[in-house]
Amino acid sequence: MDIFTIMKNEIKLGFRNPWAYSFLAIFTLVSLSLLFIQSGPISDLNQYTKTTGTFMNLILYLLPLMTLLLGALSITSEKEDGRWNLLSTYPLSSFAFIAGKYAGMFIVLSVIISFGFGLSGLISAFMGQGLSFYTVLWIFIFSILLILLFLGMAVWIGAVSKNRWQALTISVGIWFLLVLAWPILLIAGLSQLPYASIQPTLEILIFFNPAELVRIFVTLYMGGGHIFGPEYYQWIEWFHKPAGALFFMLVCMVWVLGSVGLTIWKWERNRRHV
Amino acid sequence: MSDLALKVKGLEKKYHEQTVVFPIDLELQTGQVLALCGGNGAGKSTILKMIAGIVEPTQGSILVDHLSWDKNRKEYAKKIGYMPDHFSLDISLTVRELLHYYARLKKVPGQEVDKVLEKVGLVSAQNKSLESLSKGMRQRFVFAQAMLGSPKLLILDEPTNGLDPYWMKSFVDMIRDLKKENQAIIFSTHHLDIAEETADLVVFLHEGKVMESGSLAELKQQYNNLSLQQMFTRLFFQT
Repeated sequence: MDIFTIMKNEIKLGFRNPWAYSFLAIFTLVSLSLLFIQSGPISDLNQYTKTTGTFMNLILYLLPLMTLLLGALSITSEKEDGRWNLLSTYPLSSFAFIAGKYAGMFIVLSVIISFGFGLSGLISAFMGQGLSFYTVLWIFIFSILLILLFLGMAVWIGAVSKNRWQALTISVGIWFLLVLAWPILLIAGLSQLPYASIQPTLEILIFFNPAELVRIFVTLYMGGGHIFGPEYYQWIEWFHKPAGALFFMLVCMVWVLGSVGLTIWKWERNRRHV
Repeated sequence: MSDLALKVKGLEKKYHEQTVVFPIDLELQTGQVLALCGGNGAGKSTILKMIAGIVEPTQGSILVDHLSWDKNRKEYAKKIGYMPDHFSLDISLTVRELLHYYARLKKVPGQEVDKVLEKVGLVSAQNKSLESLSKGMRQRFVFAQAMLGSPKLLILDEPTNGLDPYWMKSFVDMIRDLKKENQAIIFSTHHLDIAEETADLVVFLHEGKVMESGSLAELKQQYNNLSLQQMFTRLFFQT
């Protein structure tokens, strides 16, 4: 199967890429900080607290940016370096190529974060400071979901960008918009709407920002719904019900399949338009 | 008895109303070598990219072993081996690793890798990383991937670019060996001495137009036994 061939090659290249090790070092440092927080005076990590929230925010800043950059640059370089030109003369479909690259990069990034969390877990066990399995699991799920969703966006950015600079600019721009500027834009935009439209608009907008979507979902499931305030919590509380969880999974699937599908479509459309 | 490996009819390419390749017809039998000669911007690479299926022609048809890209893309792809002019290799892999990767994508058995490594003389370098290879060795590597699966037609875009005289000679020998194996080859070059030593058919291009074409023997007869270099000078500088 071509997808597996592309995926295996991507994994091989991923682990020989110095970027991957820089990312691994940064992520391990971040996850070890969780351990040090646990061993310090603030050791309430068994449920959602300000500290876990800060830690999640740190991951939210780091992981989408890394994923967008690694994913987008990997796809754009295939075009820019002429490798795709060569592979397009092979009996290989755009579907297999993009899906294989997506799967390969997902595995590389997942291994990196698993290593980070795994190391923290091991050191924690060795030091006899058992981190709450529940907390680590949710933060791990949070990270995996961010990778899944932002990698979809990354491959799309890679497919539409003409060169690495463009891919870099778009990636940073999207990261800035979805992770940093989102709350300000939301407040500015929603304050212009009539009060009755704020709730439905806000609820709909959540689905257009994977960072916000995942953050809200995981925070609610970690028992941190109170941070959103009583009114907002009421609006998003449905997420915390079984149907809400199913709907969340469905939205994630639409995000991944939609962005990867759009990338494949764009890739195929450009196939003979060099 | 030779058979038709490539048939190109009325092939044309325009970019935003600017014609970069004017309608061209080509025919190539198995065991024949066709050289596309001309300066930069003559349209050589564009013609090869259209045949390789990378660039969509504005008009015209291309058949490789009687197959067209539009009707059966996957089968068409199995009939060709393409050596690009500009191409950055995944330098963190070894020669053998990357060739195996290409072989799997071409659905070619792993033993083929050993065969092509032997043909291009890279057996001793097979476990070296591509980063450590010289320009000439990298060119031979790219040539090797084109040969995987013994395609009906080899499409080589400037295969001797940047090669030193030793590797140029090796390239000529490889082409001659492949001809003996009944391989059809189309390549672009501005090394006219290489074309003279290897080609059966020659096409001179200038700004997308065919200035002269025919078999090497016919051209020699027509131009009083001039070398291709002298023909080129006469065609492009004395008209």
